[in-house]
Formats: sequence, structure tokens, C-alpha cells
Amino acid sequence: MQETRYTYLDSSPLPASADGALSGLSVAIQPNMSVRGWPTSAGSRALEGFTAIYDATVIERLKHAGAHIKGSIRMSELGFGLAGDTGATVLHKGDIDCLLVTDTMGEARMTACVAGDFGFKPSYGIVSRFGIIGLIPSMECCGIAAKNIKDIAGAMSVMAEIDSRDLSMPEFGADLHIPRFDRVFETREQIPSCGVVKECIDMLEKDESRAFSAAMARLAGRGLQIDEVHLKDFELAREVHNVIGAVEASSSAGKYDGVRYGHRTETAKNWNDMYMNSRAESFGVLVKTYLFQGAYFQYENYNAFVDAARIRARLLAQTESALERFDVLLLPTRRAAFDPSGAHTINTVYDVFSWTLIANITGHPAITLPHMVACGDTDLGLQLIGPRFQDERLLSIAARLTDLDREAHHHGL
Amino acid sequence: MVYEAVIGLEIHVQLSCTSKMFCDCPNRPGDDPNTNICPICLWLPGAVPRFSLETLEKATLACLALNCDIQSRSAFDQKVYYYPDLPKGFQLSQHHMPLSRGGWIDIIDENGKPKNLRLHHAHMEEDVAKLVHETEGRTPISLVDFNRAGTPLIEIVTEPDMRSPHDAMAFLKVLRTQLRYTGCAECSMDQGTMRCDANISLRPHGSDQLNTKVEVKNMNSIQHVGNAIAYEIKRQTESLKNNEPIVLHTRLWDPEKRITTAMRAKFEGPCVPDPAVTHILITDEWQQNMASKLPEMPQQKVKRFVRQYGLTHDEAAQMSSERELSEYFEAVVKLGASPRTVANWIATQLLPAMKEYGHEFATTPVTARRFSGLIMMLEKNEINSNSARSVLTKLFQTAQSPEEIVDQFGFRQVSDTGMLRGIVDQVVSDNMSAVENYKNGNKKSIGFLVGQAMKLSQGKADPKRLQEIIREKLA
Repeated sequence: MQETRYTYLDSSPLPASADGALSGLSVAIQPNMSVRGWPTSAGSRALEGFTAIYDATVIERLKHAGAHIKGSIRMSELGFGLAGDTGATVLHKGDIDCLLVTDTMGEARMTACVAGDFGFKPSYGIVSRFGIIGLIPSMECCGIAAKNIKDIAGAMSVMAEIDSRDLSMPEFGADLHIPRFDRVFETREQIPSCGVVKECIDMLEKDESRAFSAAMARLAGRGLQIDEVHLKDFELAREVHNVIGAVEASSSAGKYDGVRYGHRTETAKNWNDMYMNSRAESFGVLVKTYLFQGAYFQYENYNAFVDAARIRARLLAQTESALERFDVLLLPTRRAAFDPSGAHTINTVYDVFSWTLIANITGHPAITLPHMVACGDTDLGLQLIGPRFQDERLLSIAARLTDLDREAHHHGL
Repeated sequence: MVYEAVIGLEIHVQLSCTSKMFCDCPNRPGDDPNTNICPICLWLPGAVPRFSLETLEKATLACLALNCDIQSRSAFDQKVYYYPDLPKGFQLSQHHMPLSRGGWIDIIDENGKPKNLRLHHAHMEEDVAKLVHETEGRTPISLVDFNRAGTPLIEIVTEPDMRSPHDAMAFLKVLRTQLRYTGCAECSMDQGTMRCDANISLRPHGSDQLNTKVEVKNMNSIQHVGNAIAYEIKRQTESLKNNEPIVLHTRLWDPEKRITTAMRAKFEGPCVPDPAVTHILITDEWQQNMASKLPEMPQQKVKRFVRQYGLTHDEAAQMSSERELSEYFEAVVKLGASPRTVANWIATQLLPAMKEYGHEFATTPVTARRFSGLIMMLEKNEINSNSARSVLTKLFQTAQSPEEIVDQFGFRQVSDTGMLRGIVDQVVSDNMSAVENYKNGNKKSIGFLVGQAMKLSQGKADPKRLQEIIREKLA
């Protein structure tokens, strides 16, 4: 039954106009994206029964371009980690072309990787956050999982635009352009130079490492230039994400107090009780643990947060400098040993997203390509990270690499 | 041991912006509850704050008026705490990177000497909602009005340079005047548009150590600030004499009982950088543009009034105490009235009358032109000061010009010598005993005789001329 995969299905008639840029494109979302009149719980009891009163900017733009927003699917609480394999199943069998997933530590890419599809996280700041319920504002942006790069480019060309309602977007102008996603397929890319992140490869298990090397060898056989590149502090990325992420999450979730909306406890003697009980009843164990971690760094160990922020700046600088030498950085998307849909503790969630969260820390665009890195029965996904605000070029390169790999298979390499 | 008080102030000032700080809602906290609210200031899920340029402009002007150094980069932090008046579990404030640092203002100390008081920094922050506690039947309930949530404030934090209640009160008065001059803030403590917390500690006189301080809140007038500090100095002095330790905590001023009472341990929540509001970058050019919008500040104006109009320092200070007043004064003077007479008449006649009629300078029908007309008739001896006071009253009550009022009500001064002599003759013959007194050396009696003559003239005679004529007659 298709309906059970969705938590909400739109019953209004299909968009009438057939001449929009995205006419015929069918999109599913998660209930952290505001669509006027839709239940918008962000997967949390904290927002039980909450209905959005306006459209998020991305939704407004997609609707305007003629896309059909089909419905919303189950999501993990406040978008922390994945909700089982719901996303992958809907991509497979949900009659949709695109799934919008907020990518906070790699969720859009991981969903696609599990489904055997393409998953894209744009440059931080090119998609408006207005109307999207978030958890870690400095890391998250609206990502897309889709069956092909063309649909990603199509949706992004509509979604990526300056929004006067989100002043945290960079000042685009003469020196800095919003990526032109309409030009992804305009020119055929030269064969790109690729840097494989050495520190990541060093952390792979043997079988993962073998699978990744085999894929690299196959691509090199088609003329791809591949070299090692160093991101010296790569090993610390996970801790950086965890500390900063928990602190920001703790603040972001502060608004769920049951005073103005959302879940309010039945049992409270005074307002202090009301706060404590409402919040205790609102969040699941995983999110609660994460919020406690954040509160710990806020109240007890602020220096750890300051350290994390400093290492974050270093990771950004290292990634920038690596991308001065290479067109894209390559690394796997997922780990073979960890089941993305079965992660239920902070540690296992971070295990799952070990290789994706670097792009959330630095704000670079990243895409995962399917069917290229096979480790036994598991597709590890090939992840490409490109320079900030050159997303259209990253998608071009992704398309070129996909073609090259197909040619390699065709030639029996 | 003789102790010295060390006092620092934290002052919250509401900026007179048209909208709130992070959304377009009107900045009118006094409207019907929860009418000036939107998804942003209620922090509905998915809301994204939009920092208002107007807040930055007004905050910058206010800081410049206090001689602060505007920082080229500043940023917002989240001051984390949970309370129903705070819609998102943190208050957006500036902790690590404030809008301005340093700054100073000058006051006159108890001994009449100028004293320079330094500011530590000034930063922007949003105000919180208003809680109203009521009962529903027998159940106590708390209502929240979010009209004030997200309205713009600046917080001014001083260095601990003040030593007495006088210093603190003088500081607040000067601060208020200077901020009102910029037009960025009303600074009314009883309306709550200016709120002041005082930090007070004691140390042995002559020492330069900084001891544990006590914070005092809930003063809603400048006088209360002085009273609360005076009380707190007395209380802490007694504690020290009894060898009781001073503990860091917050106390509330009770204006009825005129004492402070312990409220809670001083709250110091975490302050983490906010990831959603953009950093604020200020260019030299923008700052210069702001500085050019500053009006002439009161200290300069006082000096200029003394120099340009020959006022005494006190007169100049009084005419500069409010920007609107100073502009009115100058407008009247520019129309031809002599400055000291104008200053005197504004201070002793016009201001009390305006208060009585509830008028503001900007809107009063007693315009500079009408008022100057009155003063000039006085100066030309066309009316005497008695009549001038009556004309002033009429200026508040009618729309006529002072000339028309004088003519219609017959206020024009009688200076005709023949007419005045007639009046004097009458008065002298009616008051022989006073005349006798005068002739016997009681020179004060002449005042009585002039008074009688004025009465007889129905207040219209020129009192100076009257006195001369009486003197001549009785010589």
C-alpha cells in the first residue's frame, strides 16, 4: 500500500499548468518543510498536531514552477539521523522523482545511497531556510535524493535563489553568483582532476578500502586523473560536528516549550513543572540525549565548543585548499558495517554519517553517485565534494563520472 | 574602617524603532495583548530572524551619542535560559562581539566638579514578552503578551566608576538627556523604556580592589536608583561591620518600604554564538554617515548658548536639557526676542503652563512665533509683565496673535505720564498712612503704593514709571 509510506498525502488536484519549468515533476517531502495547511510535526511529539500556516520558500518556488508536491513521509525526530529505510522505500516505490531531505549530517546523500540513487547537498546558503524546521542551523540545508542528476538540477534551478526572508544567505552579486543549475548539461566537462581524501581512506576497513580502490582503478582506466589529497584534521570532523551540532540543536529545540504551540503536558503544578514535563514528554531518547550533550557544552564545557569551532575553521581552510588543487574530492558515502536505517544511539548515528558530515561542517556541495563502489552486496556510494557555490560544475562532473563509469563497465573493465 | 562604594550600572534602553528587531511587527508593546506578533517573534517552527537595519541605525546613533567605539564587526549570541516570557529558550543578545566598546559621559559630582564616567560597552538585544499573573477562580494563571517580544533594546554597561548615589543619578540624567537628543529613545524610567540595574560593592577607602558585588533591580525612577544604592551601601557597611560576608546575589528594591530584599542567586546563563543571524559588518563610510546624523549634543549646545546668547551656564543648561526645548528657545530668539528674557520666561512661565495644559513643544499651539510676539511686546514696554502672563494664558486658550489679544482685552500698558499722575494723586490721597510711613523713612511702603496704583489702573500701568512718579511726588 503506497499510502502507508506517506504520513500525509495531498488530495488537492494536480497542478493545472503544464508549462512550468518543473511540470510533471513529482516530489515528496518530509514534515519539517512547511506547506500551508499540512501537518508539520518534524517527526516529533513536540510538534504534535502542528499545522503549517505558510509555505516554505522552497515549497512556494516548486509549486510555482509546476512541480507536484505529492505528500510527506516519515522522518526521524527533528531530522536527526534517518527514519529507518522510509526514504529509500519511497524513492523506490513511491511514484516520485525527487525526495527533499534536510541534509544536516548527510541524510539526503545517505537516503539516496541506500536507495541506489543520486543524493545531493547544495552549497550552504544557496537555498532559503525560511519555513524549514531545522535543528543545526549552521550545518543543514535542503538536499535532494533523486533517480537522476537531471531532476536534481531541475529542482535546484528553481529552489536555489536569493530570498529576502532569509538574511543568512550570502550576499550574491557581481563577485558571487548563485549556481546556474540550468547550465549543468550545457557543456561537456573536461575529464576532471580528482583528489582522494587520504585520511578517510586510512580509516576504511579492508573490504571497504578494496572496493573503493577498485572503483578508482576503473575510473583511472577511463582517463580520470586521481591523486591523494590531505585533509589533515579529517579524523576530528565527527567530534566537531557532534559538539557544535549538539550545542546548536539544544538552542534550536529551546522553542519547543509548549507555551505557544506543540505538546503541553497534562500534569503540571506550576509553569516550571509545565516546562520540564512538556519537554520531557516531547522528545525521544535520541534527541533528548543530543540536547543534553548540547546543554553540557553550553553550561559546563564551553571551551570544548570553542575548540570545535576553531577546528571547524581549520577543516574549512583545508578543504578549500584541497579544492584549489583538484576539481573534486572523492570519498565513499557510507560505511559497509553500519546499517543506516538501524542507528539508534548518538554514536551509531555518527558512525553512519562518518564520511558525509565533513561537507556539512564546511558548507561545500556534495553529491553521492550510485552503483560505483560495490563492497560485497553493499553500495558504498561515490561521494564528490566540490568548491562552494560551484554546484552546477559539481553536478556536471558527477554526470561525466557516471558516464565514464558506464563506459568502463561497457568495456568490461 | 571607612568604606568606599564602587558602583556600576547596567541600563536597558528601548529604541524608538517603528518595527521589532527581527521581524516587521510594529514596535508598540502597549497595544492590545498579542496583536503585534508574527511567526518570527513567536518563533513558530521554520521562522528565520531578519535583523532590521533600523535597529542597527538607531543603536549606532545611541552609541555614538555616548562616545562609544563602534566595532567594525559585531555578532549576536544566544543567552540561554527558559522562562515563559522568552519564546525560544534563548535571548538574542551580543556578548562576545558587542556593537560598541568603551565610551564615556561627563557629570558634575557632589562638589560641583566635572567627573568623567567610562562605559565598558553597549550592545543590542531583544526585549522579552510581558507576563501578567492573574487568577481564574482560585487557580493562579499566568498570561503572556508577546507584543514586547523581540522589540529592540540597547544595554549600556558602565565601568565601576561611580562612588555615590549622586554619581549614579547624575549619570542617568546625563545619559537620558543625550539619548533623548538623538531621537532614538524616550528613556522614561516610569514608563519602563529605560531600566537600570545597579551593581554595588564596598572596599576600604583608598584601596583599589574590586570586591564581591550585589545587584539591585526594580527601580523605576532615577530617585529610586539613588535611594536603593544609598540603602545598599548602608546595608553592606553594617554586614561588614558585623563580619558577615557579602555574597554575589540579586536584590529587589521595594519602593514602599524603601529597602532591598534578596531575590535569587545572580543568574549567569551560557552565551553561545547564534548561527542564524548574520554578522554585522560596519564600514567607516557607513559609520561616518551615521555620525553626520547626530544632532549637536547638549554639552556643546550649553557652551554655544553661553557664548552666542550670553546666557549664564545654568540658564544655558536649562535651555539645553531637552532637544525640543532647545530648538524652541532658539527659534524664539531668532525671531528677535532677547535671549535672557526668553530663557527666563520659558523657565518660569511657559514650561509650567505647558505642563498644566499637557502640551509638547512639537504640537503646542503656543508656537515660537506667537511666544516671541509676546516677549517682544513685553520688551518694548507695550505690556507689563502682569499683562504678559495673562496674554500667555490666552495664547493657550485662543488662536489669536498676542497683538490681537492685547488689543481685544485692553492689556496695552499705560505709560502716558498725565494719566499716571492722575492715578498717583488718587492713590496718595487714599492712603495717607502709607505716605506717612514712607516719609518717616519706611521706604518699603512705596511697594504698597505702587501696588495700589497698579490695581487702580487695572494692571495696565507701567510699574516703573509709576514708581518714578510716586517718588517725585513724595520727595
